[in-house]
Amino acid sequence: MFKTLYHDRDTIERKYHIPEEEFDSFKRMAYHGYAYDESTGLDDKEIDAKLSSLSKTLEGEPHPIHKAKLFELVLDNTRIDVNESDYFVGLYTWNRPLSKYTWFKWLHDVHSAFPEAERTVIDLYDSGATQGWLDFDHTVPDWDSLLELGFSGILKRATDSYNELKKKGALTQKQEDFYRGIEIEYNAILRFIDRLHAFALKQTHEKAEKVAKCLEHLRCGGAQDTYDALQIIYLYFMLSESIDNYQVRSLGYGLDGSLYPYFKKDIESGAYTKEDIAELIGYFLMQWSAIGNYWGQPFYLAGTNADGTTKVNELSYLILEVYDKLGLYNPKIQIKVSRATPRDFICRALEMIRHGVSSIVFCNEDVITKCLMANGATYEEACDSVISGCYEYKIKAKSVGISSLYINALKPVSLVFENGFDSFSGKQIGVKTGKIEDFKTFEEFYDAYIQQLEHIILAHIGAHYDFETLVQEINPSLMFSATLPLCVNSLTDALDGGIKNNSSTLLCGLGTAVDAIMAVYELVFEKKVTTLSELKKALENNWEGYEKLRYMALNASHKYGNGDKLSDSYACAITRQVADLVHGRRNSHGGRYQLELHSARMFILHGERTLATPDGRRAGEEMSKNASPTPGADRHGITALINSATSIDATLTDVGFCLDAMLHPSAVQGEDGMEALYAVLQTYMNKGGASIHFNIFNADLLQDAQNNPDKYKNLQVRVCGWNALWNNLDKKEQDAYILRAKNIQ
Amino acid sequence: MTKAIISDIKRFAVHDGDGIRTTVFFKGCPLKCLWCHNPESISFKPQTAFYQNKCIGCGECKKEGFTPKDCLGGARVLYGREISVDELLPILLEDKDFYETSGGGVTLSGGECLCQAEFCAELLKELKLEKVNTAVDTCGFVPRAYIDKVLPYTDTFLYDVKSFDEDVHIKCTGASNKVILENLKYIDSCDGAIEIRIPYVPGFNDSQLEKIADLIKELKNVKAVKILPYHNFAGSKYSALGMKNTLPEELPTEEKIRKAESVFRNID
Repeated sequence: MFKTLYHDRDTIERKYHIPEEEFDSFKRMAYHGYAYDESTGLDDKEIDAKLSSLSKTLEGEPHPIHKAKLFELVLDNTRIDVNESDYFVGLYTWNRPLSKYTWFKWLHDVHSAFPEAERTVIDLYDSGATQGWLDFDHTVPDWDSLLELGFSGILKRATDSYNELKKKGALTQKQEDFYRGIEIEYNAILRFIDRLHAFALKQTHEKAEKVAKCLEHLRCGGAQDTYDALQIIYLYFMLSESIDNYQVRSLGYGLDGSLYPYFKKDIESGAYTKEDIAELIGYFLMQWSAIGNYWGQPFYLAGTNADGTTKVNELSYLILEVYDKLGLYNPKIQIKVSRATPRDFICRALEMIRHGVSSIVFCNEDVITKCLMANGATYEEACDSVISGCYEYKIKAKSVGISSLYINALKPVSLVFENGFDSFSGKQIGVKTGKIEDFKTFEEFYDAYIQQLEHIILAHIGAHYDFETLVQEINPSLMFSATLPLCVNSLTDALDGGIKNNSSTLLCGLGTAVDAIMAVYELVFEKKVTTLSELKKALENNWEGYEKLRYMALNASHKYGNGDKLSDSYACAITRQVADLVHGRRNSHGGRYQLELHSARMFILHGERTLATPDGRRAGEEMSKNASPTPGADRHGITALINSATSIDATLTDVGFCLDAMLHPSAVQGEDGMEALYAVLQTYMNKGGASIHFNIFNADLLQDAQNNPDKYKNLQVRVCGWNALWNNLDKKEQDAYILRAKNIQ
Repeated sequence: MTKAIISDIKRFAVHDGDGIRTTVFFKGCPLKCLWCHNPESISFKPQTAFYQNKCIGCGECKKEGFTPKDCLGGARVLYGREISVDELLPILLEDKDFYETSGGGVTLSGGECLCQAEFCAELLKELKLEKVNTAVDTCGFVPRAYIDKVLPYTDTFLYDVKSFDEDVHIKCTGASNKVILENLKYIDSCDGAIEIRIPYVPGFNDSQLEKIADLIKELKNVKAVKILPYHNFAGSKYSALGMKNTLPEELPTEEKIRKAESVFRNID
């Protein structure tokens, strides 16, 4: 299928880090790849020295101007590359050099301005009850504007708006500063493109001419063909993520959707063949494969128009085909599905999943639409939503998250046992709900749990409310805001209310919390095999000396994930309680607090800070992720698992939830297996499930992979919102997969 | 109310008939197939298996009044519990949504489910009232009257044919196949939809495939023919049950499986 890509692949894989070097996927962009021509610019150390001295002279300047001038410095001085093995240009400094002079410093200033909130947040963090941050990680620019106008057109549109407002005499100083920031950054981008263009002209290799022509287009306006469009998406991504400090969470408004008009034109005009385009897409996708961040890079495909027709087009298939041919694990693919999505397209994706491509997540548009409309979207807007992260759905160009607040749903169980005290941190984190020994009924226990849960949520939201008031000061969003028509018209930063600013509350570990509560119900009150005080002692001793009791807890009959009505009902009830609590509040930016049921990496991090819990879990062990059960607790297979998850009303949340499904290869082999897999997905959607991804695993194979990592260099697993190589997981994480896989023999 | 003895219920069964199904394994079988992969369902009586590798040494089993469900490590497993239609039905309806999207339903298997035909008929009748697709997985070695009981409520018979020649059948299963072949023809004559399933065990019934194919050609209601290649995964169950392992050693190769399947291609 590819003419040169297989040959060039090795070089691109070295573009961002050298494969021979030990690689830590958590170290955000701390690497450089192959050597860049030194005459094209400075190295990182030299750039940092310049940033340091410039930053001093900028003290006291408005933050947008301060940041923009540093941004400009980097783009004017970084080394560049137009490589004979690549159609996408090279940016040497991609390690977020501005952070310590802007974002980190200004974040510290804001936190210092609210000492009481800061104390609360630190206490909650130390205890593992909550963790949160102001969010610069979930942005989706207006790809329509970017592709149509290009970087120069984006700047011109902002300038027109500025002149218009100025003529009216309606400009505030804040708007003036904001515009200046945009002007500096976008001019710097245009000079950067000029520099790349001049460099390309000097190169003699075959690709240089093509790259130069593309850059010429980009210098003057929007994309003229598919290649231009891909280069714009790539450049915006690199500059925003690496220099402007805003993570970009989609590649196009649906990569298939955004590229299609160019693709069609190119094919009709004969400028490119379908094979040419496939190859360009291959080079494009390889960039993210080579970057290889832990959290991955999402892009979405498919979707359904408001008139009920599918958005799936020829390119949707082609992109999957290229991805599959290249055997990638990143970028990760979200597929928006509804009843209108062609069966053969879904089956193409399922076929990939079946042969080990675990990077695909299916997103149920019916649920997304309902969630977004409950948040004020029109039907058309909801149908046209973007995916701005793992499973976060937003109204295109009209909303952005300003904070991510993770809540440990399991911690309140521990707090109930200790009357609000947290033994992990040695602090009184919760409220005094009474001595556990005095509880006479399960209802008292559950009521105390809800009180503790509500307490940590409100404490966390309350503290973050203060920080959020100043979020726009910490990291002015210049590149991003300039793409958004609403922000440009009003010359207002996207994170200063230029578009709708919502705050995300993410409830983590729900499945394990339910199991823990149910274990109390079953062991203490139903079967009466233990008492609350004995259970408390067992937990204090991390189950040591209480092995039998621990096994009883592990084998208990009411575990979330098994279609058990009792535990499922509690999962739904807790979600409802939290939804009511969270949705009743507005943030300081006029937006809403939202509820999400996915856990990013918190199922591990919160778990590390949570001591033993009544479900049989030992101190520090991981908790359930997303809307999934505790690892190893689901024993009745995929249908029971789906029955459990869909008993939670996804529309109580703002983006639904994600279920991590695991299937044994033998269950999905052959035609019967494909039919079954398709039916599983359809049933999940019919029952109101939101997002779902699959791992097709066999416990023996995973065990072998743990013992012989060298044999399984390409084994990939879907972790949470991202996809990872098996060998990049630590042993503890691998163990959890093996444990769960053992149940599905 | 009639009660049945069952050994297991398997949800998300995708190879026991059309679509996603729940399969009920009835306990007790009149045949003794050497390659049986469900040895826990041969005897009509409850049996406790012991899986050594799961034993955590909790000592619960030494206590008076111990039942397998008290085993903390899950090493002792009871195969065989009595269940009524009223108890079983809600379990089988749990996955109704999956049956509907996949064209699946419920399969009665075993063991030989038709040895408990009275119960099966009651259960199948209820399932049909709930509009659930039904399949009966049978070895056919039962009196015709048993088949008559379930015929009205069975959408598909998954009918095992192991051998055409009687002597081979006796050697492999301990019983003649006369009744089996007669019952097959009877079901066909009653217009019951049939999926023929042929456990393919190299060294045992290789010689039978062509003959079975010829037999099938005479039938008019065979919707599908499936080769079930023999596997030896059940080995651990034999030892856990303290039963003599009769499993053949030779496993069918991919090539042999393809060849066996080709015998039944284009059979109509």
